[in-house]
Amino acid sequence: MTMPEVITARNLTKHYGATAAVDGLELHVRQGEFFGFLGPNGAGKTTTIRLLTGIVHPDGGDILVNGFSIEDKEQIAQAIGVVPESRGFYEWMTGAEYLYFFAKLYGISALKKVATLLEQVGLTAQQNKKVGAYSRGMRQRLGIARALINSPRILFLDEPTLGLDPQGQKDIQNLLRSLNLEGITIFYSSHLLSEVSELCSRIAILNKGKLIAEGTLDELRQRINRKDSTLTDIFLAFTQT
Amino acid sequence: MFKYIWQKEIRGQLYTWKGMVWLLVASLLLSFTSYLLLTNKELSLLDQTELLWLLSKIIIGVALLIVTIDASSIITTEFEQETAESLFLSPLSLKDFLIGKFLASFTLWLALFVVATPYMLATSAGSNLALAFMGYILLLGSLGVAGFTFFVFALSLFYRSSKNTLTTSLILLLALATPALFSSTLKTAPVIGAISKINPFDAIFSSLDNILVDYQTSLWQNWQFILPLFMFCLLTFALLIFTARLFKKQGIIKSSE
Repeated sequence: MTMPEVITARNLTKHYGATAAVDGLELHVRQGEFFGFLGPNGAGKTTTIRLLTGIVHPDGGDILVNGFSIEDKEQIAQAIGVVPESRGFYEWMTGAEYLYFFAKLYGISALKKVATLLEQVGLTAQQNKKVGAYSRGMRQRLGIARALINSPRILFLDEPTLGLDPQGQKDIQNLLRSLNLEGITIFYSSHLLSEVSELCSRIAILNKGKLIAEGTLDELRQRINRKDSTLTDIFLAFTQT
Repeated sequence: MFKYIWQKEIRGQLYTWKGMVWLLVASLLLSFTSYLLLTNKELSLLDQTELLWLLSKIIIGVALLIVTIDASSIITTEFEQETAESLFLSPLSLKDFLIGKFLASFTLWLALFVVATPYMLATSAGSNLALAFMGYILLLGSLGVAGFTFFVFALSLFYRSSKNTLTTSLILLLALATPALFSSTLKTAPVIGAISKINPFDAIFSSLDNILVDYQTSLWQNWQFILPLFMFCLLTFALLIFTARLFKKQGIIKSSE
């Protein structure tokens, strides 16, 4: 059975001055997919995520997220969770207070939900510590908990394991895998290609704002005619030509 | 939803060492002024209405300065500390965001007014103008604070930087406050007189002068001063709406990745 599309971008364009950050991008992500989004530095990945989540306005093209146009800010905000590239937190709040605050913004009665999320991301023991005292890994997990506060159907993550130690990376990967098994669609941007090849069911590669390749790992291998290639080989083959 | 932003700001701004320092600074300034007014040999010889007049200038001036400085960072820190993106990814609207922030700035003004209350009571003791004096400080100060806060918020949305917002806000504050201190003789000059008519500081001080010196205490007798203040609020509010629209058009994040 073909699952419905939950993220659609048609001819998406965004310029910063004379530079095209995103250039005629076509994206189609289906419900329940673990979608990997790759690209070299400055390829336009973060801008694409910001366009798809309504933080930045496109210069041209159409976006549909969970069936809603990007203009329906409130409907989209209720359907998605985002771990953005910017990692700002209110340092003076405790972890639990931080999640309560965001729960209120979503109109959710928080107590039970916050406790469940803190347990899910492994922060129950540190919930009463100020966020300012959290390690990088704890902040990342708190960011994921915040993104899950509204029980989203789609989760956007922009480099969620950046700067984490191997154990921290593994913990987040396991958490994301279990969320995907629960039916949450995951749009995942990362530089860690081994992580992407392990987690993602479909991968898109972006370069200079354009989509240059898209498919499952096997489909991408076929395109470069190397059956035993790793995602790193594929990535380099597409981005260095 | 604005109440959650308001509550967050009260906890994050007012109930912090920074908020307490502002209140302490205001309290020390008012203590020093009141002490001088009541004990200094020459100053204590001033008529009580003149004492009230001097104190009211200090209360309004200090409050506007503190609220302007505080409001300059209340919005911009969300951008500088990269918390704005997460905030606007939630269903929070820009309108609720601005109302919450405005209420927080206004709460700081009310807290400053509460701090100033004992000094106003002590200085106006025995005068039949005490109630009018306090009531008009609250009214005129509230209009002044609202107008300046709208202006500072408009700058914050435009610059998204505390430094630029604070510098520009202080330039306007000083540019408006300085002519208000010109003597009556200077104000007869056509240019200074024209500036004086539209200057919110002048409107506040002229109204207090009207109340304390000329005993014109009804709202009707002060409408000619309240109206320019109200117009100043409307003008800065219109500027805020304009920059809010511009902000929406640009998106929450301005720069490229």
